[in-house]
Amino acid sequence: MNRRDFLQSVSAAALASTTIARAAAPAVKPVRLGVIGAGSRGQENIRQFLRVPGVSVAAICDIYPPRYEQMNRLVGKEVPHTADHKELLARNDIDAVLIASPVACHAEHVIAAAKTGRPIYGEKALGFTVEDNQNILDAVTSNKVLFQIGHEYRYASWAQEAIRRVHAGEIGTPTHAYAYWHRNGDWRRSVPSPDPDGKLEHLINWRLYRESSGGLGTELGSHHIDMANWVFGEQPESVIGTNSICRYHDGRTVGDNVQTVFSYSQGRRLVFSSITDNAKVGCEFWIYGTGGSVQITIEDATIYYEKNSSNTPTADQTVSKTVVERGVVTGASYSTKGEMPYRGPGEKIVGAHSEDPTLAAVRSFIEAVRGEHSIFADVHCGFRAAVACSVAHDAVFAENKMLIPKAVQLTAAGV
Amino acid sequence: MRWRGSSKRWLAVGWLAITLALTSTAVAAAPSRLRLFTTTHSAMGTEFTLYLYSVDSEAAAAVSEEVFDEVDRIEQLLSNYRESSELSRINQNAGAGPVTTDPEMMDFLQQSEYWSRASNGAFDITVGRLMKAWGFFRHEGRIPTDAELGDLRAVTGWEKVKLDSARTVQFTSPGIELDPGGIGKGFAVDAAVRILRADHIAAAMLSAGSSTVYALGAPPHKTGWRIVVPGPLPSKNTLSVITLRDTSLSSADCSQKNFTVAGHLYCHIMDPRTMRPVEGRIQVSVVAPSATASDALSNVVFVETPEQSVATLKAFAPNAHVLIVSGDAEAARCSTFHWTSPVDATHCAR
Repeated sequence: MNRRDFLQSVSAAALASTTIARAAAPAVKPVRLGVIGAGSRGQENIRQFLRVPGVSVAAICDIYPPRYEQMNRLVGKEVPHTADHKELLARNDIDAVLIASPVACHAEHVIAAAKTGRPIYGEKALGFTVEDNQNILDAVTSNKVLFQIGHEYRYASWAQEAIRRVHAGEIGTPTHAYAYWHRNGDWRRSVPSPDPDGKLEHLINWRLYRESSGGLGTELGSHHIDMANWVFGEQPESVIGTNSICRYHDGRTVGDNVQTVFSYSQGRRLVFSSITDNAKVGCEFWIYGTGGSVQITIEDATIYYEKNSSNTPTADQTVSKTVVERGVVTGASYSTKGEMPYRGPGEKIVGAHSEDPTLAAVRSFIEAVRGEHSIFADVHCGFRAAVACSVAHDAVFAENKMLIPKAVQLTAAGV
Repeated sequence: MRWRGSSKRWLAVGWLAITLALTSTAVAAAPSRLRLFTTTHSAMGTEFTLYLYSVDSEAAAAVSEEVFDEVDRIEQLLSNYRESSELSRINQNAGAGPVTTDPEMMDFLQQSEYWSRASNGAFDITVGRLMKAWGFFRHEGRIPTDAELGDLRAVTGWEKVKLDSARTVQFTSPGIELDPGGIGKGFAVDAAVRILRADHIAAAMLSAGSSTVYALGAPPHKTGWRIVVPGPLPSKNTLSVITLRDTSLSSADCSQKNFTVAGHLYCHIMDPRTMRPVEGRIQVSVVAPSATASDALSNVVFVETPEQSVATLKAFAPNAHVLIVSGDAEAARCSTFHWTSPVDATHCAR
């Protein structure tokens, strides 16, 4: 071996060992999270964040003290805590902020976090009212902060592949989306007793009260509205809807069932239904096109093609009597064949991976924080779904058609 | 999707009968207001049942929903039937390099490793491929060839799972598949019991298909929750009765998940050391402070001989209470470890 060969050999070995070292212990930029809102959804987000290499939790903010011990257990160490989000944001050991507080607090928390310039992962819906949504959009864009909304379906590989195929025309022209989120449960969290003035009830069950929650249409429906926006490439123009309390007469002021119809351009529609006393259909999102249908669930996606309805003229068979010779048999005309649902198998849509959508979403956010790519479910995406939720929340009580405003000075961004 | 990847046998309904004292008087702060409510929920390939003393059905429903949400959450963490579970993510990736996971999953893996080490491999969650080879993953029993079993040794063995303080898990041998069946239900029960405690529930019992139960507090005017251990099948008589309070019991047997070839019954509980189904054990019941521990230990004492089990228990679970039935239905032998309740000797020669 001459010197040149030796050097090349050493270089190759060095490169190989570097590669191995990177594979064994990838050098990732640490990301320390500050958390505002450590309830059930916040905890699930944290669980997923901690599955991303290099992520740690620096501090949490929550006004309900039992959350502190729950978070200590979840994180595996004592996490500094506060009840004041300003105190949390004033810390100098936070690289990014997770906001998973109740939706009515999002505007206050997101705007305050945006002013610190830190990247934000915000739970859906973006904001509670139309004004909140506009203010959040303004704060995020004017402060030029990274923002990702918690519409994790956008990160489910099977949903991405399904909608790619829809956009490629595989089911013809998509005209309607039907979304169901049906459960059989009261949607209520247990409240420690005693709670004489009902403060804990409203704190813990904030989803059940109109002043703090958009109800099923926002807490569940926002995901499906975002998916319809994704399919149709725009936000809805208007909404009609209704809701009622059918089963749970327990003092809640949002419906225990809700039905809404969102109108998009060219007469396209999203029909959303959520009920809480029958879980037969569960959570599923259907896209209907002129040539087929796509079903997307939390775990998978399936495509179905319309029956062949070819009407090409056929010639009479010469080997037997023609219809002129044998005659046409008369009788009743009704046939159920064309009205029966298709009950055969569909084609399962295979995504690039089977990673949990929330894990895929938070991983993507961390990669964006590290500068590896831009954000897919950005603040504009969040606005378009949330503003529809805000209007729909009023529409289901008024039971009138209501127009959904577009963002003021919305910057160009893909839906 | 269902949870079936169990290296442990879940008990038939009725195998472990649970007798409850039905009374409207309770021992809690407002005893006269408490009533017993029962709710059920399908998860992990079985039916969970929650027996709960509560003031009214609304409060009971709210607690039940929280408890079963937690069970569902753990199923999503541990299911080897769901491709998007955290356990499946580890199975898919840990053979290629270290996988960062969350503290809860790490806790599960560390507890599994603990019982593997304590039992010298009698308990082992790396039996995923072995369970599939024997056809127990989806109830399609078959006998693998010796050559297959030889190949599977390369992808079986708890020592091949490396955990580190940076919360990463890595398989030293690609192709390993973790199967949580011998411990997962216990882990879920413990998580759900934490919810009950956080809700200040004074008296409840959670049963994971009767194979693992946790008794929280005691029914009104009772010292604990009464558990009946039936005799070996086909007997329907009682072998022993035990009262539990703030502790867990797990049982294992072979009566439900098995297959028979040429008159020989093959049990779904594997001895990872021999790569074959356990022979010579009929049923075991183990009482331990946590459901995770009782669940894992029920596997350990099912796989080990009674003598080995006693040694393991003395060293690693000295406070456990264990009842083991070995042999066959015609000549069953009962062995105990700190099992203080009477055992009906007509079922076995002790």
